[in-house]
Amino acid sequence: MTRLEFYDPSGTLEVTVPHAPRLASLKGKRIGFVSNEQWQAYRMLPMLKGLLEKDFPGIEVLPVDAFPQGNGLIGNEETAALVKRSGVDAVIVGNAA
Amino acid sequence: MKNAVTGVGLAPDAAMVTFPVNMFMPGSDIAPVETRRREFYDGLTKWKSAFAQTAAAKMLSVEGASYEDALTRANNLLLTSLWGDGLPLWPATKERVDWMLQGSVLPRTHVLGKFPPRGGITTIETCAIALAMAGGRPEYLAVLVAAVDACLEAEGFDQLQATSGGPFPAVIVNGPIAKQIRLNSGFGLLGPDPQRPAGASIGRALRLLQQNVGGALPGVGTMAIFGAMRYTNAVFAEDEEGLPPGWQTHAQQRHGYAPGTNSVSVVFASGVTNVRRRGAKKESPEEDALNGMWRMADYMRAPNLAALAGWEKGTPGVMMIAPIVARRMAEVGWTQQSIRDFLWENSKIPMAHMKRAGAPAWIEIDHNPVTRASIDLDPWPICQRPDNIVLVVAGGGHPTHSYWLQAHSPTVEGRVVRVPETFEKLLAEADKDLGCGDDVCRI
Repeated sequence: MTRLEFYDPSGTLEVTVPHAPRLASLKGKRIGFVSNEQWQAYRMLPMLKGLLEKDFPGIEVLPVDAFPQGNGLIGNEETAALVKRSGVDAVIVGNAA
Repeated sequence: MKNAVTGVGLAPDAAMVTFPVNMFMPGSDIAPVETRRREFYDGLTKWKSAFAQTAAAKMLSVEGASYEDALTRANNLLLTSLWGDGLPLWPATKERVDWMLQGSVLPRTHVLGKFPPRGGITTIETCAIALAMAGGRPEYLAVLVAAVDACLEAEGFDQLQATSGGPFPAVIVNGPIAKQIRLNSGFGLLGPDPQRPAGASIGRALRLLQQNVGGALPGVGTMAIFGAMRYTNAVFAEDEEGLPPGWQTHAQQRHGYAPGTNSVSVVFASGVTNVRRRGAKKESPEEDALNGMWRMADYMRAPNLAALAGWEKGTPGVMMIAPIVARRMAEVGWTQQSIRDFLWENSKIPMAHMKRAGAPAWIEIDHNPVTRASIDLDPWPICQRPDNIVLVVAGGGHPTHSYWLQAHSPTVEGRVVRVPETFEKLLAEADKDLGCGDDVCRI
């Protein structure tokens, strides 16, 4: 038998930032949207806002345009700071394709 | 969405609700958002990352009845692990990787950065592994490392890796190292050349890094719809000896590197095309040059918006002109600056043409305020200044065609190439292994 040993070429990964903890429930929570305004986000995100408000009485869902929109703006530090200052418990980000 | 969270320290997964692409088209039926709304709610309340952190690079092993059998099994393992490109690979054995590392001036553990979007930590050893798999040689490693470093620092590289337009790195090499390592600057410089094989291996290694370390797997980590040039990218040299008297190298013009400096310059191209430049009948030298310039400018004058990404600081593309064309044009008075000025001025697009193509909407949503402000320009220049256009003298000794590498390139990133003290020895070994090149033999 011939044995060949060789390197895994995928490099190593390092996780330094944990994902945000999940909410216990959506009841009474404050939810925001961060939208890139593309891929029918202008239709889907308002629909989702309505569904959340219908399914979870007492929930507060911010308008879709509460934060800066567009691919060039949603990922920057200023937008992140705005989201944090707004006091939302969670955000939904969309749409990617 | 996964691409948006990996590579920045988060685990490479995310709470996502995915739909078929037809949901995202104009006029689509978006009712599934309602029927599957529970998945959104669960993403906010129940989702957990499934990622288990990995440690140092692992060694893999296969066994076969013979070396041939083991090699086949190794290639099968690389493909089924999604680390191959469909062409035969050299398994990156310790011996082969150690050989590649002879070409590095930096220690094997030196970290170049995280390769986006996946975020794999990229070291000199990681580059050597890719170069080994790609069939490279140690004297290529310094160019590969410089190109990788340039990519990792390039503005928006995470998006360039992932975007549907499928930009690929075009690595322009200047300095004596190009000839020393047998990098093509002449006939067929973008394709395979057994006498000048360096570009294929370096470019393939870069692509393997993009895929295996950066996660740019088709349809998953990269949404490149067509994915041109993705076996080897484009790695070539400028023909510095073919520059007309007084013309500067690309590296000097764009990056200020002194002549004779070994360097790379990375542009992200999204297409390659021939432009038939030469006249066919009884043109004078002046007419031949001018007609050719018009054909190039006419081709560039297209509202397809590839250039938008590099409008302010990057480039709309690389115009390659063959050395014989450059010399003849210089003889009738053209300079590098006047060529750029002409191409810039005459590739401007009337705003009426932009509007009929729906192009202004893309300008309006660009993240760069300077680019957004360009919407007031009529005709609309495809880049802010003539100097954005990259002009390179390269190609075979033939006057008929120019070559346009349309770019999606927010920046043009340059790096000096550093070679180890033992470089001459590596070159001499290459001469022994590959035979003498046309004018590069050292033995």
